[in-house]
Amino acid sequence: MDRDPLIRRKTSISYKTEEKTVMRGYNLSDLAEEGYSFYDAMFVLFQNRIPAEEEEKMLKYEMGVFLEHSMSPSAVGAIGVSAGRPNLPVCVAAAISTFGGVHGPGAAHGYMLNKYLERAEKEGKTIDEMAKTLVDEYMDAKKPVMGMGQPQHIDSDPRAEPIHLKQEELGLEGVYLEFQRAVEKYFHARRKADGRSYVGVNVVGSGNTALMEIGFSPNAGWCIGSVVRGFSCAAHALFNMKKGRAWGASRNEPMVQMIDLSMIKYIGPEDRIVPKQDERQEYAKKQKEEGEYKKWVI
Amino acid sequence: MGYLDKEKTDKLNQEKRDRGIGNLGSPKNPFDYYAREYGTVPRDTKRAPFQWVSEVAYKNVHRIVTRGYDTTELMEEGYGVIDVLFIDYQARIPTIEEEKMLNYVMIMALEDGLSSPAAISRIVARSKTFLTQACGASIMAFGHAYGAYSAFGNRLEDYLKKAESENLTLQQAAERLVNDNLYDEALGVSSLMLKDAAAKRMIARAKKLGIAGKYIEFTEAVVEAAKSASSEPVDIDMLGATGAVMLDLGFSPEATWAILAVTRSFAAGAHYIEEVEREGTTRLGQPLTPKEDYDGPADRPVPPLSERPALDRSAICKTPAEWKKRFESMKSVRGSGFAIVEEIEDPSKKSGIKKVGKLSD
Repeated sequence: MDRDPLIRRKTSISYKTEEKTVMRGYNLSDLAEEGYSFYDAMFVLFQNRIPAEEEEKMLKYEMGVFLEHSMSPSAVGAIGVSAGRPNLPVCVAAAISTFGGVHGPGAAHGYMLNKYLERAEKEGKTIDEMAKTLVDEYMDAKKPVMGMGQPQHIDSDPRAEPIHLKQEELGLEGVYLEFQRAVEKYFHARRKADGRSYVGVNVVGSGNTALMEIGFSPNAGWCIGSVVRGFSCAAHALFNMKKGRAWGASRNEPMVQMIDLSMIKYIGPEDRIVPKQDERQEYAKKQKEEGEYKKWVI
Repeated sequence: MGYLDKEKTDKLNQEKRDRGIGNLGSPKNPFDYYAREYGTVPRDTKRAPFQWVSEVAYKNVHRIVTRGYDTTELMEEGYGVIDVLFIDYQARIPTIEEEKMLNYVMIMALEDGLSSPAAISRIVARSKTFLTQACGASIMAFGHAYGAYSAFGNRLEDYLKKAESENLTLQQAAERLVNDNLYDEALGVSSLMLKDAAAKRMIARAKKLGIAGKYIEFTEAVVEAAKSASSEPVDIDMLGATGAVMLDLGFSPEATWAILAVTRSFAAGAHYIEEVEREGTTRLGQPLTPKEDYDGPADRPVPPLSERPALDRSAICKTPAEWKKRFESMKSVRGSGFAIVEEIEDPSKKSGIKKVGKLSD
């Protein structure tokens, strides 16, 4: 059996021989036998270290609370893909791939915190002062402050503040929590002064703060958050594959299905005649000159 | 929007009928193309409106609930990811031993060096993508050979059912499974772990924790049958050990597949990061394919278009014999797909709820 590597790389993450698989120097089998947790393994993987017990507990809490979120873009993505009945991993891949600039943008939040912490250090400002700067700069530019607001949990994400509280309970307060708390304070004050409604911290704002505090980079934190959601999205896809209706358009189900024809609302150009090929050139030129098409360009 | 009104519809259809559109007016069509409606289908008021139906979880403004448990409350009570996996997939809280066992399995499943998921993640990373894109892509590596937990588990279940329905002993069922599948990638027994004790240690841990049940017992019978049938040394591999333990933990083959593929995706994220940190990006058109790796037709001049009638080779076959001859000859054209025969099955096995969404609900 060919056991040559698929690609050749220098890597400091792991190696694998006929005898063992070793991650950051630790034999994986020994790590499991010794009684370390999967959360400990995350620290070894991304940070090359065994964490303190409190750090391990924090990660356990954060990952657990983020795993399931019912119908979010990630679950809907998995369910949508499952309608065609591909292999299950495809549904999960789609779900994880939904995490971008808006849905669970953990890396973006992390980079934002790091950027302003660096400015605080360079400009000799306190964390509190820099948090106000961040809020003012973002809100003056009408940019959303990462980590604030959730379209479904409109008066406060049920996971968010409890994560902050757990971080405090575990004695894991550092620059990130101080900075995030200050961002929230100035964000709320600014919205109140502007006569706008209350918008609470979301699970990225609190969860990613905790992840950064316990030493994960923005991308590592994003990986942990996004991938752990894959577990529940797979369950949603599996439920639909085992008990739901394939294709999602059957008229034999008592409930109108996800992509029943009646679910389509069309707001594009009206029905029109397809030009014959001998009419085409003149038609196309006229269409270009008139320019009405431009309003439909996406 | 709904359907276009009748007057406009008739006018548009008449204009099209007068102009004629290709073959669309042919009497061979089982319809009158020029008498069709325009616009979208009106809302169906005779059936319940669409809703996302789930047995797994719901959320409202204030809480997220999986299988009846508020997820924030679960964390506050000290549960974690491992427990929520049991809740999501099995609607139950695991015993402490089960939690320990799944924790063990997930550590073992986390990393596997530069195998397919890591390689795919790194290749995607080179295109300067989001990390999530690479993590998602890594999961695509799990199929019916690499990480074949679905195939492995479903086969075990099939043969256990046969043992029951045909009154076979476990050993007889195992021998039959091996006879039918000795060289299959999803057997769970191979030469891969002859020098690595990790698979056997996992089984030993399952026994120590009191997790081992009928699937581990059957897998061990399969291992013995395979050892007898194989001409080379073989033993239980990670697929066999992990798959059997997960089934004894109560996870379905598909749930096992998903959980372990996602578990590996965390490490794929680390590989994405390292690739970006150490290796850089790849541009469109950058990688070359050396000619010495090419074994297709020799370089040849492209004939002028005017010579096409003399050169073209039609694929039209008039008889089954002609079809068979062409089919066989095409097998030598690598990349044409004629050498592959596979069944694209519906993995869900059944479809439809029927009882959900009646207007009276």
